[in-house]
Amino acid sequence: MAVPDAPIVCIEALTKRFRAEGPAVLEGLHLRLARGEYLAVMGESGVGKSTLLNLLAGLDRPDSGRVMLGGTDITRLSDDEMTLLRRGSIGFVFQAFHVLPYLTLFQNTSLPLELLGVRDPELSQRTMQMLAAVGLTDRAHCYPRELSGGEMQRVAIARALVHRPALVLADEPTGNLDPGSAAQILALLREQLRENGSSAILITHSRSAADSADRIVMLTGRSFLHIEPILHSTA
Amino acid sequence: MKAAGTALTLRVLLLAQMRQQPARLLIMLAVIAIGVSLGTAVFIVNATALNEFTQATKRLVGEADVIIRGPPRGFSESLYPKLSANSAVAIASPVLEIQAAVPGRQSPLKIIGLDVFRAAQLQPALLGDLTGDIRRMFSPRGVFLSARAAQELSRKPGDTLTVIVGSDPVALEVLGILSIARYSQAVGLMDIASAQWTFRQLGQLNRIDLRLQAGVDAHGFSAQLARDLPQGVLAIAPEVERDRAVTITRAYRVNLNMLALVSLFTSAFLVFSIQSLSMLRRRASIALLRALGVTRLQLQRGLLAEAVVIGSLGSAVGVLMGIALATAVVHLLSGDFGNGQLQVSAGGGPLLDPWSLFAAFLVGTVVACVGAWFPAREAAARNPARGLKAGDSEIIIPPRRLLLPGAALIALGICLVILPPQRGLPIAGYAAIAALLFGTILWVPRYTEAVLSLWPRTNRVALDIALAQLNGSRGTMFLSLAPIIVSFSLMVSMSIMVHSFRDSFDAWLGKLLPADLQMRLPPGNDTASWSDDEQRSIAALQDIERTDFRRTLPLYLRADREPATLIARDMRAQPTQDILPMVASDANVDPQRAVWISEAAQDKFEFRLGQPLTLPIAGATHRFVVAGIWRDYARANGALVIPRQRYIDLSGDKSANEGAIWIRPGADAARVQQAIRTRFSTANALEMMRSSEVRERSLAVFDRAFAVTYALEALAVLIGLAGISVAASFTAIARRAEFGMLRHIGLTRGQVMQMLATEGIATAVLGTLYGLALGLVLSLVLIFVINRQSFNWSIDLSIPALQLVAFAAALIAAAAATAILSGRAALTEDALRSVREDW
Amino acid sequence: MLKVVLRLSACLCAILAIDAALATVAPADASAAAVVRGYPLNFPRDYGAHNEFRTEWWYITGWLHTRNGAKLGFQVTFFRSRTSPDLIAGNPSAFAPTQILIAHCALSDPTHGRLRQAQRIARAGLGVAYASEADTQVSIDRWQLQRTSERYIARVQGENFSLQLTMLPTQPPLLNGDRGFSQKSPLPRSASYYYSVPHLQVAGTVEREGAPELVTGEAWLDHEWSSEYLDADASGWDWIGMNFDDGSALMAFRIRAKDGAQHWAAATLRDGQGNTRVLNAEEIRFTPLRHWRSQRTGISYPVEWRVRAGPVEFELQPLLEDQENDTRATTGAIYWEGAVTATRAGHSIGRGYLELTGYGEALKLR
Repeated sequence: MAVPDAPIVCIEALTKRFRAEGPAVLEGLHLRLARGEYLAVMGESGVGKSTLLNLLAGLDRPDSGRVMLGGTDITRLSDDEMTLLRRGSIGFVFQAFHVLPYLTLFQNTSLPLELLGVRDPELSQRTMQMLAAVGLTDRAHCYPRELSGGEMQRVAIARALVHRPALVLADEPTGNLDPGSAAQILALLREQLRENGSSAILITHSRSAADSADRIVMLTGRSFLHIEPILHSTA
Repeated sequence: MKAAGTALTLRVLLLAQMRQQPARLLIMLAVIAIGVSLGTAVFIVNATALNEFTQATKRLVGEADVIIRGPPRGFSESLYPKLSANSAVAIASPVLEIQAAVPGRQSPLKIIGLDVFRAAQLQPALLGDLTGDIRRMFSPRGVFLSARAAQELSRKPGDTLTVIVGSDPVALEVLGILSIARYSQAVGLMDIASAQWTFRQLGQLNRIDLRLQAGVDAHGFSAQLARDLPQGVLAIAPEVERDRAVTITRAYRVNLNMLALVSLFTSAFLVFSIQSLSMLRRRASIALLRALGVTRLQLQRGLLAEAVVIGSLGSAVGVLMGIALATAVVHLLSGDFGNGQLQVSAGGGPLLDPWSLFAAFLVGTVVACVGAWFPAREAAARNPARGLKAGDSEIIIPPRRLLLPGAALIALGICLVILPPQRGLPIAGYAAIAALLFGTILWVPRYTEAVLSLWPRTNRVALDIALAQLNGSRGTMFLSLAPIIVSFSLMVSMSIMVHSFRDSFDAWLGKLLPADLQMRLPPGNDTASWSDDEQRSIAALQDIERTDFRRTLPLYLRADREPATLIARDMRAQPTQDILPMVASDANVDPQRAVWISEAAQDKFEFRLGQPLTLPIAGATHRFVVAGIWRDYARANGALVIPRQRYIDLSGDKSANEGAIWIRPGADAARVQQAIRTRFSTANALEMMRSSEVRERSLAVFDRAFAVTYALEALAVLIGLAGISVAASFTAIARRAEFGMLRHIGLTRGQVMQMLATEGIATAVLGTLYGLALGLVLSLVLIFVINRQSFNWSIDLSIPALQLVAFAAALIAAAAATAILSGRAALTEDALRSVREDW
Repeated sequence: MLKVVLRLSACLCAILAIDAALATVAPADASAAAVVRGYPLNFPRDYGAHNEFRTEWWYITGWLHTRNGAKLGFQVTFFRSRTSPDLIAGNPSAFAPTQILIAHCALSDPTHGRLRQAQRIARAGLGVAYASEADTQVSIDRWQLQRTSERYIARVQGENFSLQLTMLPTQPPLLNGDRGFSQKSPLPRSASYYYSVPHLQVAGTVEREGAPELVTGEAWLDHEWSSEYLDADASGWDWIGMNFDDGSALMAFRIRAKDGAQHWAAATLRDGQGNTRVLNAEEIRFTPLRHWRSQRTGISYPVEWRVRAGPVEFELQPLLEDQENDTRATTGAIYWEGAVTATRAGHSIGRGYLELTGYGEALKLR
């Protein structure tokens, strides 16, 4: 991102309401994320975790405050500028996978590279590397309907990291998975973040999931950002 | 990189469409293809027929600068040497054009008597085949036939062709056949001397073609010449003759083209609906693309590119189908779409103009893009964060925000209704229909909102859920309603118009056919007639109570107009309303001076009620006053009725070519007919029918002429139904989870079905009612604006209530069936799974 | 029969525009008057038309000089053709085509490189076209040939040229053959009444491309009528009408058989003193000296000749080589007809017109 030494994410006095005069979902939030850092954000349902993520991704706009990504204030960016920033610098992992059912694993994974204008052979090479890293090499040309939930999420991780984004945003990536698959996915995500040197914010309400992160913060009730000590469990 | 985004979007979304909704994709393709093919076919057939017609007239007119035309009875041939000697004239070519009555043939055969030596200089194309045979043409009873005439009359060289002159048959020898390439219409060529002699018009010509010396201004020359020409003889610009085909059929062609446009119009609405729904279906894919970094513009472009792909594919198929259809029509039917005004010869083959075909292709593609434009914009503007969540499958259409633009369009439509025709065409009327249609469609959301809020709760679970569902999905409902309202309202309006026309036509026939028997010589013929003696001998037959003989003949009134028809008939009966279908009359006019004009005459010659006018009859002008305006569905170029006695006084012509016969009560009509026939040697050329028979035949012809209209209407409604089914199947799929849940909480399968049927019927009833009301309004525009302006005749409004109720019922049943069928498909899926399924 | 007449007769070559048109011959017209030996030509009656004969023409050829000395050749023909009364069948219409009139005009202009031509055709009647029986008064629209107060006046108008010429006879008519009875083949039936008026003194206006010029010159008139002309053995025809500088005049023609040999020939020579001598076939010899091949049609024409007619012998040179009439576009007939100079020992002794027909037929045979 633009300024090398700046924190990868810096949130200042962030406030978001759903309706103009309604109560704030998020109010006066501050948060910093260092480069390469892997942060878990925990909280109860409806506390505004996903809203925070949407604001970070530029998919939604705050009512006040600033969101700096790599030193750029994204609240000042136009929709197109934000889209291009997202294209190059952010990867997503969703609870519902959002793996397109009518594309093969290879095609799903290579989407971000294609958008960035990467051509063959580099495109194939990087996509296959990524699929190998998540252990799906031999199924590269299968369609998602043949996959289990865990495998689906592996594809999502591959897609989130294939273009080596500076920041990965993961929204309850294990929400739809059984505990065994969940643990595997979290381990894979952590490993791949390391591998690519990407920072990440993991949104979850599961403590065990949060434990895979470098640092955990608790988003409680309103405006208060409560930070808990890390209970680090190494992979 | 931007291009990469658009291309990727197109690829991914089109793939999504193909994998997830192949049926809808096909429907869209088909709908566009049908619209385009109809438009293309109508256009090609019209263009082909028109081209033949204009080519033929061009050959006939040749290189003349001015055409002198008189009444069929003609003017003195002394005008010919006079014009030949005129220093401004380079070549004068004398012509005697005869519409000859041929026994056994409904319409007369046009025979052109000409001086080959003159015509060769002005109409070289027409005479190409004759070189080598010119002397033979001098044979006084010889005629050359065009290939078409030879085919229609089944004659070959050496055969005899009988024509009726007065009451006598005259045998002509067929000397040769003119190739189809020369002249595609049915026509005969004779030497002018032979024609004069054969048709008892010695000393008479009725047309002289002039080529002027280089540098002479044709317009000025004509104006100057007009002063010296005998009464009823006009100097006509050849353009008027050449454009005749265009004028004759223009109104009819516009109507056909409009019908094709209606189907395209409905297609656009359907594309709009399907694309809107498919945006919902693909909302997650779209949101993901946005999240991954596809910009709004790229997304919008990608979606439009998708419409271009679908539109161009559909249009390409449509153009091919249209060519096939047109070829079939041209070859199989030698066709004219049942109208009879335009005819295509079998030899020709369709006229395929690459630019027109490309234009049709383009129109189809543009229609698809227009239909896809709004959904694409909607999708691009949507927040991707929401699309990534489950649910959110509703389209929000703010009803009140559409009211004002809707009202503006309706107001515009009303203003357009008042405008006069543009160059004889009801352009403004059609624009008014489009404006009213669009405007009222914009009011549909508000209408559904209002109606649904009035709907009572029934305390029956299935019905109440259905109502709640409709209330909650008004956006989707709008999408399924729009195409059906458009197509149904257009169909209703066309039905009302056709029905009104048929009723008025029927009533008109009743007025025109009061007698028991109608007899006539081939209409439009100049040669056959009944003498005074013959008329009297018929009247004297024993079972005949009364006769009314008439004389009709063309009347040249203006150089830039087709000739009107002069009808000389007994007008002594009072009131005149009883014998002519009057729409207005002035009782104060002196009956001796009276002329009753048809609506077409009123429009084309700008005559008014009570207006004094002079008519050229038998080479002199005579004063008349317009005593009434009557309705005439038979003579598009206008007709003027004058009392027969006055006509005889002015012209001395006591002959007749039409007659009405009242039979004594109790007499046998067949025997009377037989008795009349035996009076004539020309019995074969005489058409005689009972009035009831004439009426039946006329109505049959009417129905055949409108068969195409019905077919096109039916297609429009099919397209509309496709809209309903697409919407229904969309909702059904989108609501699988809901169905599963309802089944889980204990609704029976039957109750779910009931719910779906209720929804389907409610939607259809809403759409049908609205469509009926809108259709009624549109029919008023069709009847009182478009019909009046394009055909120059009026129609009384008459609503085919039963027919409309049947249409509506069928539509509602079809909609309910569609809803249930799509619901059943959704219900067969594993209910449990559908609860779990997220998107 | 008429076809052959039209194809071969020098005079009728002009009528190409309707050659094919009139080609399908009406049934043999027994009602047409026959040409008989011994009929005394009677003027001015015989200047006029003879409607009871099948064909008739007034045919003027000549040389013109513009004021700046440029030389032009010209040809103006009016032709009359009678339609068989059987075909007319008593049609009383004023348009009944009992007589067809045709006119043709060609201007040989060395600066133009080839002929300028125009033609007219009409049925006689209604005053639009007529041929008077009283005197030479022939007219189609505004094309006219009139003999008034001893002068001939010709008016013709083409698309890019027109002629208006007054021609004053300086000598009495020259009766060809046996006092105007001119035989055309060994068969006595094929003959015509034929007189010529040589040494017509011309003055008038020629307009080319809209530019009128005054001209003077000398011309030759043929007037010939017949009901039966050539026989079937004939294939072509060479004709000359020469005005010599010493006031003498020569009309000579030969008809070629299909093998190219001379089938029939005749000539009339009148010396400067007015003594006329009719020459028979043995006294006439046409010897081709040089051929010219048309680029358009590929036909080769003998355009230079040595001619011997009784006591006179001379050579002919064309005013320009390309005086070919090519009307294939309309009728397919092709012939050569043009202005020639007569020389003796390299010195010019007179001027006239040469007509060569039937050379295209040979081309077809090849």
